[in-house]
Amino acid sequence: MITIQQAQVGYQTTLIDIAQLALPAGQIYALIGRNGSGKSTLLQTLIGQLPLREGSISVGAFSLEELQINAALRAKQVSFVASMFTGVEALTLRAYVSLGRVPHLGAFGRLQAADIQFVDKVLQALNLSDLAQKDTRKLSDGERQLASLARAIVQDTPLMVLDEPASFLDYFNRELLLDQLQQWVQHKTERTAIFSSHDIDLCLQKGIPMLVLRQQKLTLLAKPTKQEVMALL
Amino acid sequence: MKQRSIQLLISTGVLLLLLIWTHLFVLQQEQGANSTLIFWEFQVPRLLSALLAGAGLSLSGLLMQNLFQNPMAGPYVLGINSGASLLISLLILGAAPSFLNELSYVSAAMTGAFLAASFMFLVSKRVQNIQSLLVIGLMFASFTGAIESVLQSFAAPEQVKQLLIWNMGSLQQMSAAQAPWLGTIIIFGIATTLFLVKGLNAMVLGDAHALQLGIKVRQLKIVILFVTALLAGSITAYCGPIAFVGLAIPNLARALLKTQDHLLLILFSVVAGSFFLVAIDVLILLLDPWMSIPVNVLTAVIGAPYVAYLMLRQR
Repeated sequence: MITIQQAQVGYQTTLIDIAQLALPAGQIYALIGRNGSGKSTLLQTLIGQLPLREGSISVGAFSLEELQINAALRAKQVSFVASMFTGVEALTLRAYVSLGRVPHLGAFGRLQAADIQFVDKVLQALNLSDLAQKDTRKLSDGERQLASLARAIVQDTPLMVLDEPASFLDYFNRELLLDQLQQWVQHKTERTAIFSSHDIDLCLQKGIPMLVLRQQKLTLLAKPTKQEVMALL
Repeated sequence: MKQRSIQLLISTGVLLLLLIWTHLFVLQQEQGANSTLIFWEFQVPRLLSALLAGAGLSLSGLLMQNLFQNPMAGPYVLGINSGASLLISLLILGAAPSFLNELSYVSAAMTGAFLAASFMFLVSKRVQNIQSLLVIGLMFASFTGAIESVLQSFAAPEQVKQLLIWNMGSLQQMSAAQAPWLGTIIIFGIATTLFLVKGLNAMVLGDAHALQLGIKVRQLKIVILFVTALLAGSITAYCGPIAFVGLAIPNLARALLKTQDHLLLILFSVVAGSFFLVAIDVLILLLDPWMSIPVNVLTAVIGAPYVAYLMLRQR
């Protein structure tokens, strides 16, 4: 459960003003808004990179402030999929995805058998097994985006925040991404995913709740229809 | 994949042992009454210099490449040696002879190395590309070099001679009494680095990613700066500036092991760094009957083309 109260989000000036909003767990939410409406700024706030100007946001049992101070705790509560990462020399896709386990490892960063199995399972679910040994510099943009999702799943946090995670994906992989996310939030522990997107039609088709951002206001549409969304945008 | 890395690590280790044996017992056989004394006072410290400097320099290179997120970083090219060098010159020329002891010498070198590393690190936040950073490192080195020259013009001839010899870099300067000092520092540096593995692994993706994975990035960077200065500074104090080891060996490690797991990279860099410098010293010993070659000449002959190749491959 994400609870937002009297929150003002922005860098020097307030970009988004949220009086009150509660997002129940077990759901994925699509963050929709025009270019420059502040989607990324909101996401940066949710992952603790940008302090709130005013008000409070809580993620499960923790306030965003607590998470901001304690990096180790935050990494176990919030995972983030950036819209892009650049490949690194000698870093294989498998090694990249395994980095998602870092918050759960000891000082020497050794993966245990259970960690390796977990990584294997996620790679398989995202059809990445065959690419596991490939250098991250040689992956396509789409493959890298799926790898990012895999890394976040492996991080195993109650909240996953994704910044345009499907921008380089083809039609089939977009479906795969949304299906995987919907499966991921159906879990015995509370899980929530928030992703920004411009793919309104696909989200509507999948019946995904939407957070529409327009002129500083954020509106939750639990069962959106096209007319409603278009009226708000 | 991992098995291959471990095999490579072990075979390099075995080769290193062979080289050590060659270095001590094949190439430098002394006969006569003083042979034991010569063995312990000259041969062993010389071997230890090569082992410790090789391990420490290549490890400090690995750390700097991680810190600067740049495979072309290293203690020599970024002027860390120069910083150490400048403060040592100041000490030798400026301090009273009674003040010149182990502690003052090493702490001057480490302070210089730390200041230079911090300066270059601050600069690196402003320039993003590799080339500019290397040029600034070069400028920094020639600037400190110029100050040293000015200082030398005020110095007595024997002081100047002492500095000139030290500045050439050599594995034969460290005495038997000094070896335990350097040994302790290098082992401490390696041990500290082993506790940073998780952070170093996460840093590969950049600051923002590492932060998101729960790494205290700022703290980690300060520790890296300290350890780098400790390693590069102490080695510079005892052996003078030695070039290319710190840059070339970690790159070789990544190319051979094809991994970004820093536990493996640290271990391999340490062993391969030692191997490289001992091998160079074996070559120097082999060529000794005909010519005496400074260690930096050989590291440059092998290291410079390799580094140039790495630069070309980057494009």
